[in-house]
Parts: sequence; structure tokens; C-alpha cells
Amino acid sequence: MLAQVTNELLSGFWVTIEIFLLTLVFSLPLGLVVCFGTMSRFAPLRCLSRGFVWVIRGTPLMLQLIVIFYGPGLLFGLPSGDRFWSVIIAFSINYACYFSEIYRGGIESIPQGQYEAGQVLGMTKQQIFFKVIFLQVVKRIIAPMSNEIITLVKDTSLARIIGVYELIYVGQSFIRKGLIYPLFCTGIFYLVFSGLLTLLLGRLEKKLGYFKG
Amino acid sequence: MKKLFALALSALMTLTCFAGCGGSHAESDTAYIKEKGRLVIGITEYEPMDYKDENDEWTGFDAEFARLFCEKLGVEAEFLVLSDWDQKYFELETKNIDAIWNGMTLTEEARSNASCSDPYLVNSQVVVMKKDVIGQYPDAESVKDLKFACENGSAGQAALAELGITEAVALQDQAAALMEVAAGTAEACVIDITMAKAMTGEGTNYADLAIGTALSTEEYAVAFRKGSDLTEQLNNCIKELTEDGSLAALAEQYSLTLAQETPAADPA
Repeated sequence: MLAQVTNELLSGFWVTIEIFLLTLVFSLPLGLVVCFGTMSRFAPLRCLSRGFVWVIRGTPLMLQLIVIFYGPGLLFGLPSGDRFWSVIIAFSINYACYFSEIYRGGIESIPQGQYEAGQVLGMTKQQIFFKVIFLQVVKRIIAPMSNEIITLVKDTSLARIIGVYELIYVGQSFIRKGLIYPLFCTGIFYLVFSGLLTLLLGRLEKKLGYFKG
Repeated sequence: MKKLFALALSALMTLTCFAGCGGSHAESDTAYIKEKGRLVIGITEYEPMDYKDENDEWTGFDAEFARLFCEKLGVEAEFLVLSDWDQKYFELETKNIDAIWNGMTLTEEARSNASCSDPYLVNSQVVVMKKDVIGQYPDAESVKDLKFACENGSAGQAALAELGITEAVALQDQAAALMEVAAGTAEACVIDITMAKAMTGEGTNYADLAIGTALSTEEYAVAFRKGSDLTEQLNNCIKELTEDGSLAALAEQYSLTLAQETPAADPA
């Protein structure tokens, strides 16, 4: 019995990790795009991006999941094919918006003087951003990013709403068979995973410590 | 405590049996009830079968049905909430109650422990899908390759598993399974007929969904003491009430399905 419980929980945990990793892979760069949008000097783009961030941050992720998965079928009769990828899309968009605001804070915290210095040295805008500003921003935003990333670990449990069998779903299924402890055991998985992440992100922060903020 | 009580009671019963065999024991159950003037009905509180209305009176399909039966017998209906559903047959044998009348599923266990009436209601697990394709799926065999949704841990899921469909998406409740079909993210779902009737078809929010074949059916019956002649009385009563339409009216009122109008279950 215990072996079966562990096995099933592990399979659920694997789905959780997949959601987590794929969401990060897509939302980290997408966040930068959204961030540039919200900081754009072109007013319509800026307004559009800020409105988008407002909607995504202002509605529950659970609702966004439901809209993305059921919406196309209910509204246009074109059902979304895949549960798992619907989850990845919803999560990536949601997290990109949160990340974009963290990026913006980081970028705006770099003194204007550095841009001016770059310009004096004859660097292009792209060069200034990627060679001077970017890594300093990375260092500054690691703490708030860790926060979001660890929240993401736990938010993956929302995927069960549209029938993606992640860790909590598996834990809950055991309750119907009269076993309560597996649900509580899922906590151990999350704890261990976020513990490892905390260590990893802490290390990264130390590595980037040579930038004096 | 209950066990102790049971032991004492059975000892007492054995004693009385030895002491004064014959006498009142020979008379029929119906005579016993009529003499007593009331039928004690063992229930548990659950909608829509037996529950209290705003005046603290018992109501529900079974409560009203039982009153109709008692009226015909000329006795009063008295409802007794069973503290432990597992003790129901024991309560019956010890004459604490005279009938178990509470949406009881007709099983082998029930048949061997009591005298069961004819089934009067059914609850089936039915396939629900889009109205325009339902004609292509007349029986359980034909739906095997569909993409199904169901409630996790439900009787519908069990019915699908019995059919060999294990890939069905299991969701948190029946309403979610229904929404999957409406959104087209699942081709069909399996839910119980009570819910399917209430939520699909003309005049509902799911007007383009329809009820298809039934995958499994459970029947509800009333249990009396073993060898009781009340069973016969009730069976006749069910026939009468079915003929004059009063059972159908009750079923309509509580959105339930009578045993007579069930879609044939396909024993796959």
C-alpha cells in the first residue's frame, strides 16, 4: 500500500515539476517582453501592456485557467485540445505579468547616470542594456523573483481544476479510497522542493554578489 | 453499549419465545401494524428522500410516498431517524421500526436480510453528449472510444471502468464533467440521471446536450421484516399509485425517475 501511495504521489509530483519548469521557461522571457511594453515610450503600446498586466494580475489564476481551457469551446465551438498545454499557457501568461513588474522595478532602480555614461562612451541602447544594465538588474531582482518562483511551486496545484493530475489531485483521490495521510504527505514534496529551490536561488544570489547594489 | 443492549434484547426474545410460544406471534405483520395504529419507518435525513421542511415536518419523496401508503392501510406514519444505518436490519427484526424506507438500494444484502418490495425508483448513470451526435451512440458498446469526463470517485466513474474505459478525465464534481461536454473538451460525460434530467435539454442552460444510453442502474426499494405480508401490500399500492399517476407526480416534483420509465441499462 505504502509503495503504491508513494508511486502515485511521485507520478503526480512529476507533473507538478513539469508544470513548474515549463512555466518558468516560457514566463521568464515573456515577462521581459511585457516589461518592455509597459515601459515603452509609444503610448498605445504602453497602455495596452499596462491594461493587460492589470487584467492578469487582477483576476484569479484559477479563473484564467478555466477561461483558457473552456473558453474557446464555449464561445467559438473550438475546444482546446490539450489540458496540460492549456495549463502551461495560463501559468506562463500569469507569471510573465508578475515577473514583468519585478523586472521593471529592477530596471528603474539602475541610476540614470549609467545610461549617460554608456552614451558618452558611444554604446548603442542595446549594448548599454545587455552589457551594463542587465546583470545588475538580475542581481537586484533575485530576492523578489525567488518569492514568485516559490509561489509558483504551490500554484501548480490549481492545474487539477481542469483535470491535470498533479500532486494535490493525486493526494485528494486517496481520500475517496479512505486514505487521508497521502494528502498531508504531499506537503513534504512541496517543502523539499521549495527548500532545494531556496538553496539554489540563495547560491545564485551569492554568485552575483560582486555587483555592489 | 449498543451491543450489550442487543445481547440483552435477544436473550429476552429467546426467553419470551420459549415461555409463551404461539399467541400473538402467529398474526400477520399487517394485522400487527393495524392493531398498533402506526407504521414506524426507519429513515436517515437526506434530500430529496426524507428531510424536514420549514415547519419541522418530514417531507421528501419517500416521506410523502410512505404517508400515501399508510393512508391506504389506515394507520399513521411515524418516522424514526436511524442512528446507525448499518444497524437497520437489526432494528427491523427487533420491531423498533417496521420498514426501511429511505432510498435504499436494492442489493443482494437487502434481499437476504429483509423482505424487499418491488423497486419504485431508479438512479442510473447515463451518458450525456451533444444532441446532434447522440443518435450515433445507441448503446454502451458504441461509446467505448469516446473521450469521457466524469466525477472523480463517482458511480459514473465506476460504470466507465466496468466498461473498460480508464482514460476518462476525472473532475471534482458532476457539474464540471457536464461543462467539459458543453465546451467540447470531452465528447461525453457520465453523471446520474437525476442531475442529467435537471440540467440538460430544452429550457435548461445546456439545451444542446442530451441524455444517451444508461451504463448502470441501481434500484430503490422498501424493506420490511422477513416474511412480512406488508411487502405484498406495498407492491399492490405501488401498482395503484403508478396507475393513477400520483407516484409520477411525486417523482416529477422531486426530479426523480420511477422504476417504470428507466432507459434500459445495457449490461456490457
